Amino acid sequence: MMNEVFLSNQVIVFLLSESTLFSLLFIAFVVSFKILLKWDFESFTPYQFTLERQAYLVSTIIYFVFIMKFILIVYFIFTIDVLSLLVPGAMCAAGVITANDYGSYLLILKLTILFFLTLWFYVHYYDMRTKNHLWFKQKSLLFSSIFLMILLELILDFSYFSHIDTQIPVNCCSTLFGQLEGANPLPFGLSINMLLILFYLLYALMILTIKSSQTLLYIIANILFVYIAYYAVVYFFGTYVYQLPTHKCPFCMMQAEYFYIGYVLWGSLFLATYMGISNALTTLLMGKNHTRSQINVAYLLSLFVLLCTAYVAVYYIKNGVLL
Amino acid sequence: MMIQIENLYRTFHHGGNEVPVLKDINLNIKKGECVVLTGVSGSGKTTLLSLIAGLDKPSSGKVLIEGEPISKLPDLFASELRAKKIGMIFQHFNLFEHLTVNENVTVPLIPSGLKMKEIQTKVDAALNLANIRHKKETQAGRLSGGEKQRTAIARALVADPNIILCDEPTANLDRDNSLLFIEIVKELHSLGKTIVIATHDPLFDNLDFNSTIIPMLDGKIVEEFNDE
Repeated sequence: MMNEVFLSNQVIVFLLSESTLFSLLFIAFVVSFKILLKWDFESFTPYQFTLERQAYLVSTIIYFVFIMKFILIVYFIFTIDVLSLLVPGAMCAAGVITANDYGSYLLILKLTILFFLTLWFYVHYYDMRTKNHLWFKQKSLLFSSIFLMILLELILDFSYFSHIDTQIPVNCCSTLFGQLEGANPLPFGLSINMLLILFYLLYALMILTIKSSQTLLYIIANILFVYIAYYAVVYFFGTYVYQLPTHKCPFCMMQAEYFYIGYVLWGSLFLATYMGISNALTTLLMGKNHTRSQINVAYLLSLFVLLCTAYVAVYYIKNGVLL
Repeated sequence: MMIQIENLYRTFHHGGNEVPVLKDINLNIKKGECVVLTGVSGSGKTTLLSLIAGLDKPSSGKVLIEGEPISKLPDLFASELRAKKIGMIFQHFNLFEHLTVNENVTVPLIPSGLKMKEIQTKVDAALNLANIRHKKETQAGRLSGGEKQRTAIARALVADPNIILCDEPTANLDRDNSLLFIEIVKELHSLGKTIVIATHDPLFDNLDFNSTIIPMLDGKIVEEFNDE
């Protein structure tokens, strides 16, 4: 049965955009599959020239759709945040995302897809810089995998939005994010102090290894950092954004009353992680290294860490105490 | 061999129909050679020039520039090769009308990464060669047809390319300016540049320097002969 959430303006716009982009990707997928089977760059036949023209068009379509997917994740968060007005008990997107079983999987899948999209951009970049499209097959295979993930994402999108019940109250924020009495929500049983030490140490390690040949160490540090940073933001830095020690939520900071700072914080963290790991993976697997990209990753990470630290520093300067 | 063309075809699709524009073109152009492609409108001269310049891709066949298959190169590499090895002169000059002569000639060197002083030295040399230095501070939009063409020549020469491609270079010029253009071509030829001119101007039929005239008709090379 259609519910009012499924028919709200934001959801219609979101699902329509996702469906349109998927239609474009479907065309690209079918054509790229055909290209992949018959591709022979050394050939000068009319068929090969036709395939090369089609490959150029397909790459352009994929490029456009993938850029749009980055914009749509922001709109997705915005949409579920708006829906919190309709779902009883929800104060922000955190409540809406757990309104049914699909939400959490959908969010994780979306974040995973964005990582693979970033990786595709790197492989595409290197492929376009070889005279004989050396990485064309790898790029096409990567695209095929991403396409299947996006197909699953579209199914989950529809399932998620069509199964939000506006009659059943949801849990939100503090109840959800580990504020149950006596439970330590932090990973590895860490205390807040240890979590913060680890946060800054990992940041330092990443900056130090970003240009070194320790690629594997850099990847591990990157994955660990994004994990630790999530908890550090929700359980420590976030409380300074909200200026309330009990408010521990990753989503509320994306609302207007907090100047949408959450988009900048999470955006810089995830973009830096995606770019950093993608660059490191292409270094490991393809022997390629993009120096400018490494510098951008360092800037994004530093922006994230500086912003987090600044909230604590400003609060301390203003009030003379910490939360 | 500077330019090698093998079994080149180019077919356009228009309204569901296939329109063959070039059919089985085979051509070898040596370093320092001057080739004049002649023929009526629609004979495929401009399409052939576009394929040599890597501005378009063939339907099948090869175009090699100093052994490099420009017809297969991705855009980035084709642009690089064009910037280093090929200078183009167009029928309608294709100048930036609001820029000065000096600025127009400078434009191709901007991505080169050279220092402004080096760029200006090269620009001055190209302006001298095309005999337009005296107008260097004049806006392109205020030039006569002949002056615009000489600016276009300077722009084509500024990166010191080995190959000069000219598409109907005298179509918008009077007889005196056309003869002046031919004099400049003669000078470029003496400098060892490989020159390919697509034209239907009869002035090119009897050039007073070594050149090869290649008549084209309906997308095919009709015959090949040297004027000597």
